[in-house]
Amino acid sequence: MRNISLIVGICLVFSIGAFAAEDPKVAGACMTCHKEKSPGLYKQWFDSEHAAHSVTCLGCHQAKKGDADAFSHYDATIATLVTPADCGRCHPKEAEEVGNSYHASAGKILDSADAYLAHVAAGDPVAVLGCESCHGGKVEIDKSSPNKLARRSWPNSGIGRINPDGSLGSCNACHTRHSFAKAQARQPEACSKCHLGPDHPQKEVYEESKHGNTYFTNEELMNLKADSWVVGVDYAAAPTCASCHMSATKTQGITHDVGQRIAWTLRPPISKHKDNHEVKRANMQDVCTACHTRTFTDGHFYQFDASVRLYNEKFAKPATDLMKLVREKKLLENPAAFSNKIEWTYWELWHHEGRRARHGAAMMGPDYTWWHGFYDIAQHFYFKLLPQARDLGDPDVDAFVDQILSSDPMHKWVREQTEDLKKQIRAGEMQKIYTRFFEAEE
Amino acid sequence: MLRSYLDFVRAVSLDRLGRVGVILVTTSFVSFMVMQVGMLLGVVTNAYVGLIVYLLFPVLFVLGLAIIPLAWYRQRKRTGKSIDELLEQSFGPEGVQGRAAGSRVFRTVAILTLANVLILGVASIKMLHFMDSAEFCGTACHSVMSPEWTTYQASPHAQVACVECHVGEGMGALVNSKLNGAWQMVSATFNLYERPIPTPVHQLRPARETCEKCHWPEKFYGSRLQTRTSYANDDQSTPRYTTLNLKIDPGAAGNSGVHWHVDPENEVRYASVDDRREEMIWVESRQPDGSVRRFVNTRLTVPDPEAEDLRTMDCVDCHNRATHIYEEPERAVDEQIRLGAINRELPYIRREAVKAVRGGYPSLEAAEQGIRAGLESFYRRSYPDKVSSWYDRIDQAVEAIVRIWARNIHPGMKIGWGAYPSFLGHSDTPGCFRCHNRDIRDAEGRWISDDCTLCHSILAYGESTPFAYLEPADEKARNRPMHEFLRDEFLTSIED
Repeated sequence: MRNISLIVGICLVFSIGAFAAEDPKVAGACMTCHKEKSPGLYKQWFDSEHAAHSVTCLGCHQAKKGDADAFSHYDATIATLVTPADCGRCHPKEAEEVGNSYHASAGKILDSADAYLAHVAAGDPVAVLGCESCHGGKVEIDKSSPNKLARRSWPNSGIGRINPDGSLGSCNACHTRHSFAKAQARQPEACSKCHLGPDHPQKEVYEESKHGNTYFTNEELMNLKADSWVVGVDYAAAPTCASCHMSATKTQGITHDVGQRIAWTLRPPISKHKDNHEVKRANMQDVCTACHTRTFTDGHFYQFDASVRLYNEKFAKPATDLMKLVREKKLLENPAAFSNKIEWTYWELWHHEGRRARHGAAMMGPDYTWWHGFYDIAQHFYFKLLPQARDLGDPDVDAFVDQILSSDPMHKWVREQTEDLKKQIRAGEMQKIYTRFFEAEE
Repeated sequence: MLRSYLDFVRAVSLDRLGRVGVILVTTSFVSFMVMQVGMLLGVVTNAYVGLIVYLLFPVLFVLGLAIIPLAWYRQRKRTGKSIDELLEQSFGPEGVQGRAAGSRVFRTVAILTLANVLILGVASIKMLHFMDSAEFCGTACHSVMSPEWTTYQASPHAQVACVECHVGEGMGALVNSKLNGAWQMVSATFNLYERPIPTPVHQLRPARETCEKCHWPEKFYGSRLQTRTSYANDDQSTPRYTTLNLKIDPGAAGNSGVHWHVDPENEVRYASVDDRREEMIWVESRQPDGSVRRFVNTRLTVPDPEAEDLRTMDCVDCHNRATHIYEEPERAVDEQIRLGAINRELPYIRREAVKAVRGGYPSLEAAEQGIRAGLESFYRRSYPDKVSSWYDRIDQAVEAIVRIWARNIHPGMKIGWGAYPSFLGHSDTPGCFRCHNRDIRDAEGRWISDDCTLCHSILAYGESTPFAYLEPADEKARNRPMHEFLRDEFLTSIED
């Protein structure tokens, strides 16, 4: 409680400071022109909480003469770019949480395999529009540009944007300008600008799940515009992305550090537990219990964890080991990464269907767990990855593949008779192979 | 007198052809005189009569006069008799006595010829005068000129004749306009003209010669307060006021208004990509000290345009629709609501009226039917209990909407909404912003100011009262900074 008062106190001090710096005469001139020339922008702001609290144009856009992106606009020195550091003048807690979040590091993907692939297989414009729009790009200064921002890097509202002032992120990735509404960020649509598609279909999984189902059925009961938005208290119809990952519960405050309730990272080829995953799992379970009993949520995580381990052990680890062997033995025709077919097969196995399967399991999307997920993994593992590995004609690789198919109990079925397999399933023998995934402790 | 005239006439019409000539001359003369008297007395007022009186009758008169000697010539050929013999045969020996100049026939012909010349002179002057009248321009080529005639009659220049702006003064202008008119007759007859007719920007007389006869730039104009009332598309058609104090004086240095552009001290020239004059290639102004500042468009949409339209700015570069004013549908409806011709007590009437007037109807009859059907069906469907008591209001609204449509839309000439946009201000088109924008820059990278308060103070902008910003600002109002800024700007601007 004391913490909250302190934070509120700091907010107030900062906000008074920020408002005092605003010259209302200049703000009045801004409004006069922008009401005519960009009426939509003006109207969004006019209807916003910012307007209700006398936060006008300069509250966010005022810049100091020396700032890299400052420019002179009529009688004011302003910057187009508003960064988390600017927002943090009034919202310091949120800015700090965002700065610590995994979201803020999304711009660092620029050195990752994804960005490499976009640059080599597509080209720079795609890296700008396809990658940096979501991940955030590095905003470059161009002194000859009217607003000092280089056109290649602006506009950009990516969540991990690398700003000239050194801050990371972009608040309007979720709180779209110029209304910056809480309500919008609470809706799943805010997240689904980026979290969708073949490689991370969180939006589609949510839509398929019971959670999404109830949300879209009961949107009007969601109390989205309320100041306080505590799950089970201010609304109960359904959870949105924000409810589970960020918003307040009766015991947890709202957090803009979006990873605080996630135990696994399902992003890499082989899923890993995050640091302090027990605490993070408990945080998530706390959200679940606003609507579910403890036994219910325990059951869900028991099933979910088992499917993640299954993915890791049955497909991800053998596939990764196989690729490691192939690379160590330099069996690939072309030197560059992604210049050989088998690399694309492996990539899609974990980056596309591998994630679909895991996200489907995490968020109760049956179709994504199986048909868009494990079904595709299995097909591509048995009928693309392994045959393409054999095509390399290397005795060690052949031995590795043979060993998987003849001695791993999860894969041995390939060389057995259907009737025998059916008997094993009916007898519960087949299921026993997988018991260890339910019971594993790490 | 009459008898001797009749005798002469009988004698002069040698054969049937001669008689036709005489009849033409006589009837056209008598009719001309009768109609002229009728017009002078105000009994005859129809504009089309002018066409007959001043164009048809004189032509018939001359035709008749020409036929008479033709008949004589023909008779001489046929009979092989000499003129003298024919004369004697017709007028008798006493008529031709004294020969040549002394004879009675000669005297009669001489007097009549003098009379004819006099009559023709008067008729020609009358004809030219009539052709200078707005009625002639507006109605002679009815179908082609109808849109311009309609808008002209509703315009602030309805008392200024077409030729005052479109022809000008002097022999050159007269000849030019008659040649042009002849070509227009050909193109109207053989259907060679464009629809809609392009604005005759090049044929128009220079504004210095026309507009400035009444509106001269040295005149002090001061500023002009203008309130525009618009109505929301809600059930109440809630009024919203925008009040501008337009700074229109040519003004002294440093304190000038919009008419600075035509102040004799200044000269503004521009080149536009075509004669629509919407997109500038460059614009320059000559300062009193003779230096020239040129601003070049850095964002041309037409690559490498040839400077097709090079002009020194005058009245019509902004007032391009000073007379033939075509309205915007929303604004026309707002105006009819303001005047009370469309009753705001009808729910959603603003929204419905705009929808109705925007409907694409192929003819006036279709528009009358469509507008009525649209409005009546909306109220019958949405307010079945009340509609019966509203029929009078709906009727009145339908009439007003049809009037708007008929004034602005002319399917025969393919004139729909927006066919002739206005450059005045910046609501129909970029208008002022054609030059006052940040893409047009001088060598130092400066642009011509597009600051809102450069040309007008703003006393209300879509507010619920016409002088909202002169009222005290509500402490909690979201637009309070704008309110106070605009109030102060206005107060400062009128101090100077």
